Amino acid sequence: MTAQTGAAPQPPVPGGHVPSGEVLLRARDVVKYFPVGGRGWRGGSREVVHAVDGVSLDIHRGETVGLVGETGCGKSTLARCLTRLYDLTSGTVEFEGQDISRLDRRAMRPFRRNIQMIFQDPYGSLNPRRRVGSIIGEPYAVHGIADGAERKRRVQELMELVGLNPEHYNRFPAEFSGGQRQRIGVARALALRPKLIVCDEPVSALDVSIQAQIINLLSDLQHEFDLTYLFIAHDLSVVQQVSTRVAVMYLGTVAEVAGADPLYDTPRHPYTAALLSAAPVADPDRAQSRERVILSGDPPSPVTPPSGCRFHPRCPKAQDDCLHLEPALEPRLGDGPEHVAACHHPLADGERLPTGAAVVSAEVTGADDVAASTPPDGEEQP
Amino acid sequence: MTQAADVDVASPEPGVPVAPIAGRSPWRLGWERLRRDRVAMVSLLVIVLIFAFALLAPLVASLTGHDPNAQFRQTGLTPDGLPEAPTSEFLLGTDDLGRDILVRIAYGARISLLVGVVATVITIIVGVVVGLAAGYYGGVIDTVLARFVDVVLSFPFLLFAVSLVSVTGPSLWIAITVIALFSWASVARIVRGQVLSIREKEYIEAARSLGSSDVRIMALDVLPNVLAPVIVYSTLLIPIVISTEATLSFLGLGVPPPTPTWGGMLDESRNYYQQAWWFVVFPGSALLLTTLAFNLFGDGVRDAFDPRADRLMKG
Repeated sequence: MTAQTGAAPQPPVPGGHVPSGEVLLRARDVVKYFPVGGRGWRGGSREVVHAVDGVSLDIHRGETVGLVGETGCGKSTLARCLTRLYDLTSGTVEFEGQDISRLDRRAMRPFRRNIQMIFQDPYGSLNPRRRVGSIIGEPYAVHGIADGAERKRRVQELMELVGLNPEHYNRFPAEFSGGQRQRIGVARALALRPKLIVCDEPVSALDVSIQAQIINLLSDLQHEFDLTYLFIAHDLSVVQQVSTRVAVMYLGTVAEVAGADPLYDTPRHPYTAALLSAAPVADPDRAQSRERVILSGDPPSPVTPPSGCRFHPRCPKAQDDCLHLEPALEPRLGDGPEHVAACHHPLADGERLPTGAAVVSAEVTGADDVAASTPPDGEEQP
Repeated sequence: MTQAADVDVASPEPGVPVAPIAGRSPWRLGWERLRRDRVAMVSLLVIVLIFAFALLAPLVASLTGHDPNAQFRQTGLTPDGLPEAPTSEFLLGTDDLGRDILVRIAYGARISLLVGVVATVITIIVGVVVGLAAGYYGGVIDTVLARFVDVVLSFPFLLFAVSLVSVTGPSLWIAITVIALFSWASVARIVRGQVLSIREKEYIEAARSLGSSDVRIMALDVLPNVLAPVIVYSTLLIPIVISTEATLSFLGLGVPPPTPTWGGMLDESRNYYQQAWWFVVFPGSALLLTTLAFNLFGDGVRDAFDPRADRLMKG
């Protein structure tokens, strides 16, 4: 997880980013809307869920980009747009400089070898009717890489690599624990030696003790195979530990992007600050003394997102311009190009959000929505 | 990094040597549950016996010396010309033309099982393909196919069968076609419903992210997961098909005489059952026993393979 710093500075791109390493995946103004309600050939309604609404993000080779935000903010939808599991409504995604955002499935296949995913639900992401060897070997079968004994040898190598007993090749997913199943998912994602792995909440459904094992595994593999991760989570402490940089999403847009430590130390966007203050603290004394920012109101409906800054109805610092003017994602208060926030009235260093006075009606769900049963964000399909 | 918390749930059977650790497939677990179901096992035995009976029909014929269509007007009819009651020569009696009912039931079993199995297989194949396509692709394909299924299900079956047979004339293959034509739609509906839930699973997304083709995903990831209800349904469909064939034959729309069929025999017995109980009881019992055995076996299969089947609700 070493940031490849010191590379030649690049011109700041829209939504400016760390000028470290070569850009592996470049997303520009990615938009994904889902139609609400009626489907079928008479094609339902005019209303759409603005699941992802203009996200630009660069992922550099070798880094781990954390993506955080509350449930329903569009993290998982964005991940599926970047891996082209969903078609984009608009915007572009480039992988190693090639635009993949309009490719059909056949044309996508070569890129699939380089972009893989690890899924949230270790129970749902493995076909219960297939043997583990067949699940992990599926990438080889699909891409016609290795057959028969050779495939088996490779699969068993992978199993060993991720800490599974290769002799369990013939077992079924139901015969493994949650952590072991997630290792199977990791092995499958690794099979084609991809360059980028999108981890969609890979540890959210696991016990805390198992979480650490999987995170360590992912980080070992990153060093060994020179992997790049997009790491989605809602557990802020996990994200801080694994990420080189962190992007905060709110209601389909990126609120703030920064290196992991600057983001946690000096959040500029009030939403980031609120999110950070909601993260549980393991030390009871510190937990007692810290100030929690309680946001008022619920997250607005992604069908009719608020005007201007999307956070303004809940923001304690909101002023008139926030209602009308959508803030650009750019460096604020003299930050470098690597720390950008979409806020007209960013927090100064050490500034705290007004607390207490706000009406306590709902909390930012920082980490208390671990229930894995919630469907992926914004997914409204049948 | 290997986790020691690895409970060995799938220890291979004792006596199997160095074989690699074999996983217990959901199918094998289901079969083990089924094997413990005594009613289902007895039913299975009955089904096997009926199949044997059908396959050995020529043997029955040669043992008794009675061809299924031979009319024994001297020995097989009473002086009044009525069917002969069961005797040592005609174990289950004779019919109105002096034919051996036992031999005819054996040959009738061939028709019943042939129609039952073939029509069910056609039904399942068509239903699964249509249901898979409708559920997996969704959208326009689904709308068209689902409406078509609704149309087929709303057809009056017998009326359609009568008109079709009146055009083509009755035959074995027409009977099979008619039955399959009207049964696949419910299979398609069941499969479609299952596919709709399966296709939202993450492992389907995982397969897509690997670059699998639609056909590959349907065959390897979707189909195996919808197969359990399909198998359950087909074991319950066979007795329905068998009695449907009997109905058609009873109405003269099935296999034409003199080929022996259970439904046809029941039809012929209509005018004689007051004098000759054996004429109606034995073919009727054969039909009853067969459908009962398949139904009970089907119930057992459902309990064993369909995880949602509520065991407490079992009758």
